Amino acid sequence: MDSRQEDKIALVRETIDDEALTRHVRAGQDGATVAFDGFVRNQSQGRATSYLEYEAYETMAIAKMKEIAERIHERFAIHRVAMVHRLGRLEIGETSVFIAVSAPHRGAAFDACRFAIDTLKKTVPIWKKEYFADGAVWADGELPPTPPSAKTAS
Amino acid sequence: MGQVTATVRITVLFFGRLRELIGLSEEVDELPEGTTLSGLFERYTKRYPKLTEFRGSMVVSRNQEFAAWDTHIAAGDEIAFLPPVSGG
Repeated sequence: MDSRQEDKIALVRETIDDEALTRHVRAGQDGATVAFDGFVRNQSQGRATSYLEYEAYETMAIAKMKEIAERIHERFAIHRVAMVHRLGRLEIGETSVFIAVSAPHRGAAFDACRFAIDTLKKTVPIWKKEYFADGAVWADGELPPTPPSAKTAS
Repeated sequence: MGQVTATVRITVLFFGRLRELIGLSEEVDELPEGTTLSGLFERYTKRYPKLTEFRGSMVVSRNQEFAAWDTHIAAGDEIAFLPPVSGG
């Protein structure tokens, strides 16, 4: 059976239910789940953060998140993946991204979860704006890798 | 009689700081066939000169895939100009 169909990939605007996602990936044949819970920090480079706002190119973000899930299924001996990012206004301490991976053995689950969050931060079109008491800035971010020329692109 | 130039209709999207800078998130545009993504962006910098300084710190996508700047547009394309991503 292809476990990829049991993956849960989503963008949401409400609180992420991390417990439900962890339960979703956990199955009888597994021996481990590893979860990454990314949440809103109370400061940014020494400035007290008031709140954050996330926006996404939603159709492309979902496509890129599904690609990441595909890649970790190919690279690691894992079972199920849950990957959810929240959009809109988030307060300090609220979860912005949650990734859970289940596997028969812990090594693959750790490696896949790490790979998933690192790749999400580099390739998924989501943007964060940080609000402070005296203003707001777009977070620096990372430039996704792109083909150098259409002539060489596959 | 002048030469007839074929045009293609595409949708253009701006996100994050680019969207905010020019106050435009989406529009449908009609462009000469053979226009590259680079050429498309240049047309926007003429309308919005402030965009010019971001050319080196952004990427572009064509139909939800990151694309090279010399890619040619085709009818029905969805092109998006994307600042550095900062999800997570």
